[in-house]
Amino acid sequence: MRRRLAVTLAILVTLSAVLTAVTWGQSGEYKIGVLEPLTGPLSGEGKRHLEGFEIVRDMINERGGVMGKKLTFTVADAPDPTAAASEATRLITREGVKIIAGTFSSRLCGAASEAAARANVIYWETSCVDPRFNKRGLKNVYRTEIDATGFGWYNIEFIVKHLAPRFNLKPNQLKIAFVSEDSSYGQGVTESARARAKELGLIEVAPPEYYNFTTINDMTPVIVKLKQLNPDVVHHIAFSNDAPLFWRQAREQNFQFKALVHAGATGYGGADFGKAMGHDGNGVFALLEPGPGFKLDSLKPEGQKIEKEFRDAVQKRTGSYPLGGHQLAGGGLWLLKLVLDKSQSDDPDKFRAAVMSLDLPVGTMINGWGVKFSETGQNSNERVQHYMLQWQNGQLVTVWPEEFTTNRAKWIPLGAWDSRK
Amino acid sequence: MDPARRLGLAQIDVVAQLGVSTVLLGGIYALIAVGLTLIFGIMRVVNFAHGEFLMLGMYLGFFAFTLLGLDPWFVLFVSIPLFFVVGALTYAVVMKGVIHASHNVQIFTTVGLSTALQNLALVLWSGDFHTVRPWHALTPVRVAGTAFNLSQVVAFVVAIGLTVLLFAFMRWTHTGRVMRATAQDREAAILMGIDTNRVYGLSFAIGIACVGAAGVLISPLYAVYPTAGLQFVLLSYVVVVLGGLGDIRGALIGSLIVAAVEVGGSYRFGTAWKEIFYFLLFIGVLVFRPAGLFGQRGAETLGV
Repeated sequence: MRRRLAVTLAILVTLSAVLTAVTWGQSGEYKIGVLEPLTGPLSGEGKRHLEGFEIVRDMINERGGVMGKKLTFTVADAPDPTAAASEATRLITREGVKIIAGTFSSRLCGAASEAAARANVIYWETSCVDPRFNKRGLKNVYRTEIDATGFGWYNIEFIVKHLAPRFNLKPNQLKIAFVSEDSSYGQGVTESARARAKELGLIEVAPPEYYNFTTINDMTPVIVKLKQLNPDVVHHIAFSNDAPLFWRQAREQNFQFKALVHAGATGYGGADFGKAMGHDGNGVFALLEPGPGFKLDSLKPEGQKIEKEFRDAVQKRTGSYPLGGHQLAGGGLWLLKLVLDKSQSDDPDKFRAAVMSLDLPVGTMINGWGVKFSETGQNSNERVQHYMLQWQNGQLVTVWPEEFTTNRAKWIPLGAWDSRK
Repeated sequence: MDPARRLGLAQIDVVAQLGVSTVLLGGIYALIAVGLTLIFGIMRVVNFAHGEFLMLGMYLGFFAFTLLGLDPWFVLFVSIPLFFVVGALTYAVVMKGVIHASHNVQIFTTVGLSTALQNLALVLWSGDFHTVRPWHALTPVRVAGTAFNLSQVVAFVVAIGLTVLLFAFMRWTHTGRVMRATAQDREAAILMGIDTNRVYGLSFAIGIACVGAAGVLISPLYAVYPTAGLQFVLLSYVVVVLGGLGDIRGALIGSLIVAAVEVGGSYRFGTAWKEIFYFLLFIGVLVFRPAGLFGQRGAETLGV
């Protein structure tokens, strides 16, 4: 009996080894590592990013794949920085990948890319916005999304050019308060916005209020303080639990301000905020990739085509308009395809040469982006066009820059809490 | 006007609002901490999965509201027996085997349980952030220059009620006396004919019933997601140590102190400081009154 079992086992093992060898030999597949937080507090957005990657991977494969091969993923979970580094290392040493794409969060991208850089593997970041990411002199580390400096810059641009005139205030009369979660994402955006606000002469009512989003349980002390300081604009960078908490408690405390501006695909920019608040979320601004209202015909012809196909693919898979996570991951992966088309190699030097040679104007890619990388491996602020979206009756719609959209911003300034219908 | 000059505690309505916020936040912390202090005090087990039972309570509140349209206040009555059973089952399946084992084994077990529950929630219900918005969560109450939320007031009232009930139960019922006896000296309790296993099972079940109810009650106030428990659990250890291990009154007063430090510190010095303040308080208590403010002297080493 035991002998028979042993024989069966031996046969099974041999068979599976042969099968693996056969599939390996025939595959014609090109495998990259995809690293996202799929468990833990960041997993909501992490999974959305993975979904974006998968949608665009299928689009790429329908168009012949990369370097003549079918693009496949080895997915790894990175709930925290330690896991990000160890999983990146595992993808490289055990799975043998030459390119890693990921990791959405600024808490993770630093650690993950460091591990990739040590192994001389290409690291392709599609989302994290930590400004330090591309300032470490790492040659094979690239980021397709703009960094937090860009976010802060765009936000102040919007506040000064679009909001201030409608408040009948000059920039140097406009009072602004900064509230932010304290990860490198929040700090990066907030500090760059503060620097830009200072240049333009805005009045900062108090030092920025930083908090830890994983342990914040009550925003009333902050709100009570802000109420006394009476800012026109609240610049709040938040994650998905603290954004609804602040908004609900601000309403309870009847804290009246003229506008709230956020940046990024989480917190006020995430789908959960709209689900949580419905019409009560009306009026909040979030800097993002384009949402409903975005005019396809404002793009270049090739951009229109790919953007439309992307939207349809997301619609088919998720039943909704692309969300921020889909757009960042999807746009980033499509850009990786363009690079590989050009380099036809994952050799770091050839790859780098291809990245640097890409030069596409705004409006040619998914999200209406263009491409022009700097020597630091960073796609440029001017090419990665960003848009201001606003919550209007449970939907996040594009409202600025106005030439790109059919929608217009409402509730400027925000009226009483119960009048924003 | 110089904005900085207007900041200050001089304004009476600011003080009143901060006071109200402290009391209401303290109520939420107490709700979570009473269950923990019971388990901690009687079983001498650090239940690292406490926050995850809170999270399960929050999901119960969420699903009952979105799928069945049931108000969390109603679900509260269902949740207490339900989580009592969940607690008893968890004790029988997981905790019973390690109750006499070393602290390391117990810690590994409860941390394992915590991770397992978090990931179970993630697999079953995704990592999305959900919100429960019954009418009372949308109803601001304004009294004399202060504002708060009706759900919060009820959570506070229930916290007080629960604390009083548990306190009375522990003090005046036979079962309560048996539980206290077991907490004070396990060996002697066995010699007196007390079935300590049953006492532990009961304590765990009551503790989990409390935290489950807490989860349901706070579901309209905080986002519901798989790691929602982590938001509160570290803090409830501070509360429990501050109040004294196993002391239910202590848990209530400890909660109010922690909330006061958090609210006052956040207002005066900025939110970034709040954890520094209450952990300083925590260290201070450990140094000067290791048994906690109300704990029995030497209780911290009992049963170890």
